[in-house]
Amino acid sequence: MQALTSILILLPFMAAVCCFLAESGRFRSYIVLATGGILIASSLLLIFYVPFAFSPQAVFGLNVHESVQIPDFLLMALILYYGFRHRSLAVIIPTAIQIVLMIWFEGFMIEDPVVQAFYGDNLSLILVLIISIVGSIICFQAIPYMKTHEAHRHLSESRQPRFFGIMLFFLGAMNGLVLSNDTTVIHFFFEATTLCSFLLIGHDGDETAVRNSVRALWMNSLGGLAFTVALMMIYRNLGSIDMQQIIQTPPGAGLSFLALALLCLAAFTKSAQFPMQSWLTGAMVAPTPVSALLHSSTMVKVGVYLALRLAPAMQGSFLSHCIAVFGAFSFLAAAGLAVGQSNGKKVLAYSTISNLGLIFACVGLDTPESITAAILLIIFHAVTKAMLFLCVGTIEQHIDSRDIEDMRGLYSKMPLTALITVMGVVMMIMPPFGLLLGKWMAMEAAAVNIFVIFLMAVGSALTAMYWARWAGTLMSDPFAGKFTLEKQPVLTWAALLSLCAGAGLLSITVPWLYAKLFTSSMTLNYTPPYSLHDGVLENAYGVFAALPLCLIAVLGFLQSILSVRWATKARISTPYLSGIQTAEPRVFTGPMNQRVQAEAGNYYLSNIFGERTLTVWINLAAGVLLILIIGSTL
Amino acid sequence: MINKSVLILAGLASGPVLGGVISGFDRILTARFQSRIGPPLLQPFYDVIKLLGKEKVVVNVWQAFCVNAYLTAASIATALFFLRSDLLLILFIQAVGAVFLVVGAFSSTSPYSQAGAHRELLQMLCYEPLLILISVGIYFQTGSFKIESVDAMNQPLLLKLPFLFVVLSFVLTIKLRKSPFDLSTSHHAHQELVKGLLTDYSGPLLALTEIAHWYETVLLLGFCSLFWTTNPIGALLLVGITYLGEIWIDNVSARMNWRWMLGYGWGMGMALSLVNLVWLYAR
Repeated sequence: MQALTSILILLPFMAAVCCFLAESGRFRSYIVLATGGILIASSLLLIFYVPFAFSPQAVFGLNVHESVQIPDFLLMALILYYGFRHRSLAVIIPTAIQIVLMIWFEGFMIEDPVVQAFYGDNLSLILVLIISIVGSIICFQAIPYMKTHEAHRHLSESRQPRFFGIMLFFLGAMNGLVLSNDTTVIHFFFEATTLCSFLLIGHDGDETAVRNSVRALWMNSLGGLAFTVALMMIYRNLGSIDMQQIIQTPPGAGLSFLALALLCLAAFTKSAQFPMQSWLTGAMVAPTPVSALLHSSTMVKVGVYLALRLAPAMQGSFLSHCIAVFGAFSFLAAAGLAVGQSNGKKVLAYSTISNLGLIFACVGLDTPESITAAILLIIFHAVTKAMLFLCVGTIEQHIDSRDIEDMRGLYSKMPLTALITVMGVVMMIMPPFGLLLGKWMAMEAAAVNIFVIFLMAVGSALTAMYWARWAGTLMSDPFAGKFTLEKQPVLTWAALLSLCAGAGLLSITVPWLYAKLFTSSMTLNYTPPYSLHDGVLENAYGVFAALPLCLIAVLGFLQSILSVRWATKARISTPYLSGIQTAEPRVFTGPMNQRVQAEAGNYYLSNIFGERTLTVWINLAAGVLLILIIGSTL
Repeated sequence: MINKSVLILAGLASGPVLGGVISGFDRILTARFQSRIGPPLLQPFYDVIKLLGKEKVVVNVWQAFCVNAYLTAASIATALFFLRSDLLLILFIQAVGAVFLVVGAFSSTSPYSQAGAHRELLQMLCYEPLLILISVGIYFQTGSFKIESVDAMNQPLLLKLPFLFVVLSFVLTIKLRKSPFDLSTSHHAHQELVKGLLTDYSGPLLALTEIAHWYETVLLLGFCSLFWTTNPIGALLLVGITYLGEIWIDNVSARMNWRWMLGYGWGMGMALSLVNLVWLYAR
């Protein structure tokens, strides 16, 4: 298990260095493939060793805590350097303060820390699985993607060594973050993900990329600062930097709520909650695999992971209640903004923020039911969102646009990719798939809280609206049922199909997952809330018929597919237009024998849901809520 | 087990039988309101049978997929209702059907279908939160989302959730495609969008959408009946009076636009739900 942990954390770092040095593209691809393969295998093997806690033996007289100190300062110094290079005071000031505080903390406050370096329970395991499997699949797909990407940009010198190096480093840092138990080590990995995301967002190096990457850097530096201050306060309170010890303190017994609120603030920044959402929506200038990685398996999951870890220490407190309302507000507000978008990647970005808000709301509600919902949402969101991002990336390279309007009738140009995208949309909003199961559990858990359930009810309806519109647009074309498959690299197909199949299979196996992962060694104080019988999860107030629903859905799907076969024998007609039909589907003969072209566009209701109308007010409201959260703890 | 199978079969049969009869009554009553005699009671069945026998014509083969998914979802939701399952589950499955109907309309490029589909999405946006809030109200009162627990009540829910019942009747007007909310498609193909969302569905597929709509009608009226479960006659009266009210509103009101629907629906619906929920919460 020590070996597995070190493979999961250190192997990506070493592979990153190799990628960085590798000149040959073929060799680099092999490194990425091999690293991904080993990561997937080790993360699966880790299942058999949970729960565990250990501190590796000192190497050269340094234990984990000490050996991370120097790299931690180097990392912050590097961020400071980038702050100077891009002349951004917003990066320099928080990072400089953070360095000073860290020197004070490490140098003068902490004495002989007694700390378990690594700790793994089922929550960490789930995160490791998501990071290693989904993350690796994204890296695989990036191999063909980056080739085309660079061909489009006519670069004289390939920047792929840098790209793949950082991608792999990111995976290692994420694994380190979720497996560490020493909060200063978590801080190191926390900063490492900040730096990786900055470098990846700015990868293309054009003006917008640089601007957006600096924005991501300063916002996350603020989060890092909040994290550092919180660590110092916690050490003052409890004299501990051991995460498990910290969260074992019952709420109100010595641990200041302000410190917890600051940690939550750091979590909100990482998870791009309002008003810090703009770094994530800006991140879409990066090559699509980066967006896929940031949105699904890394970065934004740091925030929700931290909040889930800290949940036991906040149970039943007013702070927890505030977080529930804040999360639900984010869920609603981001869904509203997504309705107003015609840019596919932006819709995905807002949907991510929205789903993370929902997860935060569940964490804030802090009942076993809502925590179950939160973890299910994390799993299914990661798989489905990665798949949708990769789909949009593939589509974008084909049609040179990421606008939903340009994807009208994509089905006839790229049938399989369009179908997988539609499948992804279906998985986002429909039973029996896991995301809906999570949302459903969340709603039933939230029903005790009028504020939260109101926000969730409206948010959920908005969510269905923007997804259904997109799915419909992809299918919008006269179509007779005969298609030729588009050509894509094998790795692209493998990534898309494996994610699609994975999300489907996971949904079927939810009862089994629940029995396996949720009934023992989940987070602290977690008691499994549902009884399990015949693949149905049930508690006192709800029945979640996961497996039966899947079976019915499969039957319904087969029957509907048969009906498509039936329809291919039908007479194909042109859509009805208000004149004499012609052979062309979008043209009719109007008055005076004129040829009239019919056009239709989607409603985006941008005067209600547009960014220009809403963002200011949402940021304002979210700011007020955040001030309330911090203020309530003073 | 046998009991359950009977309930499932009853649920599956209710749409095509009960739904059709309700539709027949609806047409006769509407005709009487307009000083006409109206068609025979079984006319909706004749219509559907005739449509089923028509030539298969599609614009896009995925229309067939979508219609079948709509029908399947609507029938499952109704069967689950008869099984007295989880309220939110029933709502979500019902929503699956509604989404597929919309996606099917999108698959045709006709601007009438497209605009109809968008309006249908707006209608869903309007009523879905309200349906969830009604379920939450029921949860507040019974402590569970399972319909069984509503059956176990010894006092009609209507007395505790009067405002939520008003909200439900509002939702019913939208779902039954009655004026002033027959924006996306109406029972008569003479609105500004021809037949809106249903414009490019024809023949057998149109017949299936009609049957699915019957299922939805039964489901929503069943939802109404939850407000009076202590006595079957009370339930029947409540549902009957509500439906009569719907037909009356249909005949006296003109079609409104979606802005009005969304503003009024969310404004009134949520305010009434909030008042009712806070009232329950405060006690």
